[in-house]
Amino acid sequence: MADIHADIDALRELADALARFRHAQREVAERGDHEIEATRASLEAKAGRWRSLLARRQADLAACQQPARDAAAGATPDCSAEARAVREAQERLDHIRRWQQRVDEEAGAFRSTAVRFRDLLDLDLPRTENHLRAVISGLEASRRIRVAGS
Amino acid sequence: MPSRPDEDGDHLLRVIDSIWRKTQQSWRDDMARHFERAHWTPLLAESRAYVGALRECLEMMSAAERDTEF
Repeated sequence: MADIHADIDALRELADALARFRHAQREVAERGDHEIEATRASLEAKAGRWRSLLARRQADLAACQQPARDAAAGATPDCSAEARAVREAQERLDHIRRWQQRVDEEAGAFRSTAVRFRDLLDLDLPRTENHLRAVISGLEASRRIRVAGS
Repeated sequence: MPSRPDEDGDHLLRVIDSIWRKTQQSWRDDMARHFERAHWTPLLAESRAYVGALRECLEMMSAAERDTEF
């Protein structure tokens, strides 16, 4: 006969703890996904703001340069401030786009780990809990037989 | 201030690991050894891998937010 050395109450506690762990880690995974999506949305909103700002600044620069183009000759207006503002908006937009690309790559790489973990929580862990509860039932049955036989 | 999901995930891992260690003190038969090998060790490894990957990912998300605040 196989050696049996187990405290059934401790096994029950472990099985209950595994169920709590599964629920709580599912919430962790959902919050993790939410934070990633929130960051992506935030970066998209920032990119949108800087795209609008860039368009406005480009229009300002064009308006500044227009008199020079209209006049066949004459003093050239100083549009350096407008040009600087356009460069700044373009650089910031490019900077945000680079971050968007990095974030997308990181989120894509993370996704495979996240999917495996979801499978663990939704499929493997319930199987583990069922296995443990089957062990507990077996031990209880074995104890009952022993008590009845003694 | 709410904690980050990876920190909560790490905390949950430490809690379940401590319950397992406590259980081990009173479960020392062949079924326990099978459970540890076939269920517990993969569960812990996969969970740790996830929490570590989540931490790295969220750190990058925070860096992205900080670095694009103009």
